[in-house]
Amino acid sequence: MVNALSRKGVNLSIKELDSDIARFRDISISIGAIRQDTWHEPMGPTPFPTLSTLRNWDHALLKRYKPFYLPFCDLCCLCTYGKCDLTGQKRGACGITMAAQQSRIVLLTACIGAATHTGHARELLTSLIDRFGSDLPINVGDVGVEVEAPITRLVCGIRPQTLGDLEPVLDYCENQITQLLSVTHTGQEGSNIDFESKVFHAGMIDHVGMEVADIAQISALGFPKAEPESPLADLGLGTVDVKKPVILVIGHNVTPSAGIIDYLRAEGIQSEVEVTGICCTALDITRYSSRAKVIGPISWQLRYIRSGVPDVIVIDEQCVRTDTLLEAAKVRSPLIATSEKNCLGLPDRTDDTVDDIVRGFVEESIPGALILDPEKVGEVAVRTARLIAPKRKKQGADISKEELGRLAKKCTQCMLCRRACPNDLPLAQAIKAAAGGHLSLLDELYDDCVGCGRCESACTQKLPVHSLIIAAADQKTRTESYCIRTGRGPIQDTEIRKVGGPIVLGEIPGIVAFVGCANYPKGSREVAEMCREFAKRRYIVCTSGCSAMSAGMHRDEYGRTVYEQFSGAFEAGGIVNVGSCVSNAHIAGAAIKIASIFAKRPLRGNYEEIADYVYNRVGAVGVAWGAMSQKAAAIAAGFWRLGIPVVVGPHGTKYRRMLLGRSDKTEDWYVYDARSGGKVYAGPVPEHLFFAAETKEDAMVMVAKLTMRPNDTSKGRANKLANYIDLHKRLVGGIPPDVHLFVRSPADIPLTMKDDVTLYLKDHDWKEQPIPDPTLLPRLIHKKRV
Amino acid sequence: MFEQIPVDIGLVHEGERVRKNDMQVELGGPAEPEKCEIVLVRPVDAITDGDISIVGPDIGSMEEGKHYPLGILVEIAGAKVEQDLEGVIERRIHEYSNYIEGFMHLNQRYDIWIRLSKKSFKKGLNSFKYIGQVMLELFRNELPILEKIQITFITDPEKLKLLYREALERYESRDARARGLLDRDVDVFYGCALCQSFAPTHICVITPQRYANCGAISWFDGRAAAGIDPKGPIYEIVKDECLDEEKGEYTGVNESAKKRSMGEINRVYLYSAFGYPHTSCGCFEGIAFYIPEADGFGIVLRGFRDITVNGLAFSTMADSTAGGRQVDGFHGISIEYMRSARFLHADGGYERVVWMPAETRERLKDFIPPSVYPAIATEKDVKTIPELKSFLINLNHPVVQKWKSDETAARATADRTAVLSAGDIPITAGGYRIILKNAKITAEKVIILPVRAPPPGGGEHRGAQKK
Repeated sequence: MVNALSRKGVNLSIKELDSDIARFRDISISIGAIRQDTWHEPMGPTPFPTLSTLRNWDHALLKRYKPFYLPFCDLCCLCTYGKCDLTGQKRGACGITMAAQQSRIVLLTACIGAATHTGHARELLTSLIDRFGSDLPINVGDVGVEVEAPITRLVCGIRPQTLGDLEPVLDYCENQITQLLSVTHTGQEGSNIDFESKVFHAGMIDHVGMEVADIAQISALGFPKAEPESPLADLGLGTVDVKKPVILVIGHNVTPSAGIIDYLRAEGIQSEVEVTGICCTALDITRYSSRAKVIGPISWQLRYIRSGVPDVIVIDEQCVRTDTLLEAAKVRSPLIATSEKNCLGLPDRTDDTVDDIVRGFVEESIPGALILDPEKVGEVAVRTARLIAPKRKKQGADISKEELGRLAKKCTQCMLCRRACPNDLPLAQAIKAAAGGHLSLLDELYDDCVGCGRCESACTQKLPVHSLIIAAADQKTRTESYCIRTGRGPIQDTEIRKVGGPIVLGEIPGIVAFVGCANYPKGSREVAEMCREFAKRRYIVCTSGCSAMSAGMHRDEYGRTVYEQFSGAFEAGGIVNVGSCVSNAHIAGAAIKIASIFAKRPLRGNYEEIADYVYNRVGAVGVAWGAMSQKAAAIAAGFWRLGIPVVVGPHGTKYRRMLLGRSDKTEDWYVYDARSGGKVYAGPVPEHLFFAAETKEDAMVMVAKLTMRPNDTSKGRANKLANYIDLHKRLVGGIPPDVHLFVRSPADIPLTMKDDVTLYLKDHDWKEQPIPDPTLLPRLIHKKRV
Repeated sequence: MFEQIPVDIGLVHEGERVRKNDMQVELGGPAEPEKCEIVLVRPVDAITDGDISIVGPDIGSMEEGKHYPLGILVEIAGAKVEQDLEGVIERRIHEYSNYIEGFMHLNQRYDIWIRLSKKSFKKGLNSFKYIGQVMLELFRNELPILEKIQITFITDPEKLKLLYREALERYESRDARARGLLDRDVDVFYGCALCQSFAPTHICVITPQRYANCGAISWFDGRAAAGIDPKGPIYEIVKDECLDEEKGEYTGVNESAKKRSMGEINRVYLYSAFGYPHTSCGCFEGIAFYIPEADGFGIVLRGFRDITVNGLAFSTMADSTAGGRQVDGFHGISIEYMRSARFLHADGGYERVVWMPAETRERLKDFIPPSVYPAIATEKDVKTIPELKSFLINLNHPVVQKWKSDETAARATADRTAVLSAGDIPITAGGYRIILKNAKITAEKVIILPVRAPPPGGGEHRGAQKK
């Protein structure tokens, strides 16, 4: 496969060639070697790793961070022997243990996630190659980005330069996902740790798939190219001119949405139709057009559709509510499905004429259609929206306050709604109060509600519980008006160079990435608050996906969102929105580039060494506060293999296991000092690889703790500790009980806390420890030159 | 530690801004013509340790929303405290002030600008004595070499006048000392191993005439840091024997490099990009890159967002420079080093510099010999190497003389491997037919580079960052 991009010894002879400009006879051309370009970096040890290639590295990590199981389900029901009860010491009919079964389900989850991103990447790449040709150069940041595809270089050992070069990369991903999925077959793998190693592999593949998807769309569709100050886009329904025809796009694959923008541009009617989006398609469409608007994260689907504002709804793939057709019908908005993966039972109208489809929609003879041609989607959506808007008159399914009172009186207080609510919101109590004319309790639920609608399915009285909340909140959705920085894509190499100094001098305590879905325990506000707090503390804060939207949905005392308050650059106190789900690859990419930029470690096919570098030196932490999907699980797994810890919200325990370190086991925390070759106790840093926090407060303290690494300079460690101790004091109370584990020398003690900490160390039998040049890999011990 | 202080003290307050509407009082700042802060070294018996005095009205008696003059005088003494360290210690005033909740400190020296927030004032921060106590505590904790510290806040305009005059003189004499201090005047240099946490084989050698590559640490900073924590990551290097004054090679530096790089680096030339050049991690501010065709150097800083005259961008060349390796002709440097008389001294200094971005050339105008300045091409003058060469000839750049005396350099540029020799094949174009008979085209290696056309996509941000 490597040779696909560097062929050797090409001989070409032509007997006769006639063309308009020349006639050739008997030409023979022989070329010693064709190389794609001048990449001199030698191939590393593990290009295109297969399932077991990086097993030793995985096992080294998993030895420190043993899976801590939280079985979400005690049974296995995947084969016909089952259901098998796996509680206690029981084994299933195939011999599987509870631990292995839990890890097996995690692997299944990670495979679904990796397959979803890779499938998305493949569909996107195929359509971009169809449109622009396979020779279109990859360009994700002009001269500011030298390493255009850090993950692909690292994993595959190739340097893609054109769209066509990305195809063998996806071939590899697809191959590996198939192999990985087959591992979950009955009787394929018995060790929980080997299942976990494969979870890591799936995560790594997922990151490759994401990188391919995003660099392809950045290069071909003219998205911002690593721009620190990419423009701000409107966020919230309050920014939409509801007098105009409105199109809603939902999902992750920007192609059909781009078709809509293209049609509007071609017709010169961009200002006449509003294009609005939910979820990652929304993020990506704002990278394509400055007129597009983001309504909100995935949890805004019901409330936005029911507002009646969208005249046409266009869905593509991933994280689209499967009942969208029903919701769309309630407000008489036609639905266009655009992905083979998500057809919703609709008739395939791809080959019908635009006129026919539009007529069907406008006459309301069909509720929806499947159209697998993005260009056609663009024309149908726009023309339908313009014709149907005057007829629909934005008729919504939301309810008035009077109706709310009347409906609330029907509630029997059976409490099934509350039991159905993932966040245990006190719905029945609030509805009871509303029946008595007091709406404040119901109103308060607006911010916390994740918009799943399970309460409505559970209601014995068939009350539209979700809509009751919206009504009590004065239709707040309609007035939400914020902004978000459009996804910038990669981090520039020069930005990484610039932060090297401040990191070693202790001016930047770490990098925190707020990523993932919107299944928050207490609404999106907490994400915005955490972003603001860490940016204020001069961490580098990255955002992506639904979290990027949530971060923008709150204002400070001066009325600014975090995107207005802080810069978009990768610097101390910057809030760096990389973009949609697939843009998460750039966060991992930045960590990888640090190794190549500062230490000049070769990336090419050199996964283990780079992961060891990132794990021991790069103080990055991911926070997926509302992680919901299988994709989120795969993204997290990709970070784990690189040694980057991930903190999730309380719902994250449903991923079935955590990866927790044991700070009390001193023997777990030795590293090799690459200078001396000796083994050195480096402290429990980072303490965990996967941790579910109960509350925002716990999460923030944990994030501050998890940015510590064995290589920290004393100034760097002092800054990290200052934040850890300060957050602990404010949010939990007192000096953290484990602070002595993180102080290696007196110079590590934060200046403003010297007295307290010194006293604490005295009480805890603290001893000075050397600062190693840390590695887990004995082969990286420095060989002394004579 | 700060129980007696009515507001919180901590790193978290460092980035805080106090807006005009939230401000109790402003001290110094653009509205006040005379303000300053200064650290002065005194004889041990001349000051009283821990003394904080306020000369003139204190914060509590200042009118809300108004601005006042302020002088902060920190007098220090100690056996190991030298006058050379005053500047380094003075910068701590800025850092420490900003740890105080609601107390915003900007700038330094005669330019200080401080705002106190209403919130912190209401919490009881109504006197300079608290500010003094915080500084005192932090100075003592961070800099144990200070045996005595005495702090005076002066708000009385008449009294401030005296301090202001003394401070200006001292800033000037300090600057003159820094500018005039030569590598040959000192016995010790400093090594900085901070970046080894990311680049394990790199160390910086910091001399009076060669700043750290990151631009953040001067010889004076190094002296202070090594004095305070001799076991720390910034340490003393005794120069020892000078092996080559021109190239800047010292036995002490070589020994230190060998030890700290685990034998990767055995010799270091401080003032040359060839042979044994000083290494870089990744955070250098600029690159001096050799252009063989012109036998001179191009200079490019990190912020330059275009390709340079050799067709490569900063990021591409930086890739060849980093990682603690000695790479001939690709040299990571700080801006401050470019202001040094020893800048690339062994290679000819500015007389060897042939290209730099216009903005950089302007920024360094005072440090480039006036005779060379106009002959250094910028991106506005030339885009390619051939254009550069004719520019240099036209402006009679000193390297042109070198070309004449060094014929080989000229030959090297002409000696290009032709991929396709067309000697036997008639070249015709424009409507004519080309007929090749029995032609054989042989190439050892063909490099295919994609033509960088703008992407055809409809997005609006295409190339937007190239300004």
